[in-house]
Amino acid sequence: MNNVTDKIRSNDSLSLQAGNAAELSTRNLLGIEGMNPLEIRSLLDRGDQFANAMQQSGDDLSPLSDVLRGKTIINLFYENSTRTRVSFELATKRLGGAVLNISVAGSSVKKGETLLDTATTLNAMHPHILVVRHNCSGAARLLSQHVDAAVINAGDGRHEHPTQALLDALTIRRRVGQIEGLKIAICGDVANSRVARSNIHLLGTMGAEVSLVSPATLLPTGIERMGVIIATNLEEGIHDADIVMMLRLQTERMAGTETPSQREYYNFFGLDRSKLMRAAPNALIMHPGPMNRGVEIDSAMADDAQKSLIRTQVEMGVAARMACLEAIATKLANENKLQGNG
Amino acid sequence: MTNILFTNGRLIDPSQNLDASGQLTITNGVISTVNAGLNDAKPAKADKIIDCRGACIAPGLVDMRVQTADPGSEHLEDLATLLAAAAAGGVTGLGCLPNTQPVIDNAAMIDSLGLRASRAAGPRLHVYGAATKGLAGREMAELGLMAEAGAVAFTNATTSIGDSLVMRRVLAYANMLDKPVIQHCEDASLAADGEMNESETSTRLGLIGIPSIAEAVIVERDIQLMRLTGARYHVAHLSTRAGIDSVRRAKADGLPITADTAPPYFLLNEIAVSSYDTAFKLSPPLRSEDDRQAVIEAIADGTIDAIASDHVPVDGDAKAQPFGPSQPGASGLDTLLALTMTLVQQDQISLLRAFEALSFAPATILNVTGGTLMPGAAADIILFRPDTSWLVRGADFASLSRITPFEGQPVQGLVDATYVDGICVFDRHI
Repeated sequence: MNNVTDKIRSNDSLSLQAGNAAELSTRNLLGIEGMNPLEIRSLLDRGDQFANAMQQSGDDLSPLSDVLRGKTIINLFYENSTRTRVSFELATKRLGGAVLNISVAGSSVKKGETLLDTATTLNAMHPHILVVRHNCSGAARLLSQHVDAAVINAGDGRHEHPTQALLDALTIRRRVGQIEGLKIAICGDVANSRVARSNIHLLGTMGAEVSLVSPATLLPTGIERMGVIIATNLEEGIHDADIVMMLRLQTERMAGTETPSQREYYNFFGLDRSKLMRAAPNALIMHPGPMNRGVEIDSAMADDAQKSLIRTQVEMGVAARMACLEAIATKLANENKLQGNG
Repeated sequence: MTNILFTNGRLIDPSQNLDASGQLTITNGVISTVNAGLNDAKPAKADKIIDCRGACIAPGLVDMRVQTADPGSEHLEDLATLLAAAAAGGVTGLGCLPNTQPVIDNAAMIDSLGLRASRAAGPRLHVYGAATKGLAGREMAELGLMAEAGAVAFTNATTSIGDSLVMRRVLAYANMLDKPVIQHCEDASLAADGEMNESETSTRLGLIGIPSIAEAVIVERDIQLMRLTGARYHVAHLSTRAGIDSVRRAKADGLPITADTAPPYFLLNEIAVSSYDTAFKLSPPLRSEDDRQAVIEAIADGTIDAIASDHVPVDGDAKAQPFGPSQPGASGLDTLLALTMTLVQQDQISLLRAFEALSFAPATILNVTGGTLMPGAAADIILFRPDTSWLVRGADFASLSRITPFEGQPVQGLVDATYVDGICVFDRHI
């Protein structure tokens, strides 16, 4: 058994060398908007390699690379999160790095400390990369202007959630083969969704045909100018779609007048088997989680092993984030080298 | 009797449609002679002669929208720094909003602020009374007693009076007192939680949008209430094409409606917010480019009567936050004249129209001293050089509030000296 593992290890170590890291043009990953297709593709390629390696190593969670050895990654989460935080933590550990988790409950933020004061405090601890989630749009960018560490946006308000879009793309690519030319319907609470915005940018950049399906009250102004097709009827909107991506109804961000009731929402915008019939025959279902079962998606659809990619999305989260962390670590190392030579 | 003679000046007086070189004499704090075309003659008894060397002599600015943090938050701006900033900006009269702590919603507060300002011997402070008690928008404040104490207008400061019945009564009552009601026009429920102008940009940035029609919704309602009450009504910081169209139509109908705007609304648009820089968080929010063009057109054609600074003392800490929770507003007194001059330099309006909007119109709307070089008027004047360029640096402001959306921008037009009642309250060369 040990022999087998070692063999896999040594094979992997060739392809997992840091030299194959994805290349980013900036040290921070604040959003998909503005990233070019080459950067996105290189992150997906690298995520693919990590996903393969992780599938081979199974339950063995020892590091696959030492690119983050001796480095500290701080997860600074101003909003609750399970999958994103845990997957950044796992991704860091599998790259040989150390993780500090700071969640707002039980931190000095509860005592009224501002984001920038927290940034200054954390900066003094010399983290390599700060992974931040915040309920305010633009918070990750603001933080990046005040710390020495690189910043990864793990979700800022209604703005962007770039690593979610990357893991979604990785999930699609591994299952379907390519993104270009696919018809992808993003359905539900677009107005309050950072996942929708990041996916619109990424899938559009990579050549998919993206449509949005949402009640008129949850369609933000001017979204049609972001290169998407708009529908307010789920069955029409997902017609012939290869991928149906459901969004969480973000009741926590809603004022209460957006939809009459969850029952009505489910009736018109919840994905069930009969509505899915309108999509392409082999259409696949995605959801960034956490799901409101019986609100935006029927449990039978969410748990359908043939059609649902939801579990794979979680799995790909680690691989996609490893690609991002490694790319940034490599970028920082190169910056240091340049400075050293200069 | 003391005489001050200003020679070699360029006389700018919108009240007489005068733009000519000449000289001006102040006698005992009052403008005594204005001689266009005359430069060499000296009056027999000039106690002091000031050679303007071509600089403009104009009425001091009457800035009709200023917030003071005094009383309540003097660390942000006290009366001394506010008046110093006004003087440095060429402002000889300023209308100040009642949203202090405590709120200026009674005669004693009007008295107190007026007295303190008069002791400071700087620019004139014109106090607006709160239209409703505690600015809560529910019960009418003691408008009559405040008017007796010197309130020049009534307003609910930074919020609209949402309740139509309360607004109707405030208009009717203020009309009885012959005072205008000034409204920040923004429907509170449409603008709820709003962070910036609603548009493709707000959608991209993930910021909560305030639809531009939130302004016109209130303007239109209030115009109907004007028809009912006959009251004088003034729209503060008008910023949308829809709101401007409403005001234009009401003016054409002969209603006594007036409006002002502020430099950010004719110099900037919502795209500035793209960097999430909180210096661009203002209320009302920066609008679309189409709205900005409409504001310029409305200043030029007189639909917008006045230009005010919309000076808001804001704490640096209140701005050092993510865009959403950061406080709206920016400093404006130091830059009002130079920023308005941009429109003159771009040939959008004449220098005379600029001074009409900055001095004569607001003085007329508020029925206060200033806005003219007519002999017999109080000598509230400024000397300024329209072509002198400088860089906007918040750190250099006389105001304690140093956050400006124009940080680092080159501007033209510099105030040399400011006189109130013929007394020099600011001199750049001293």
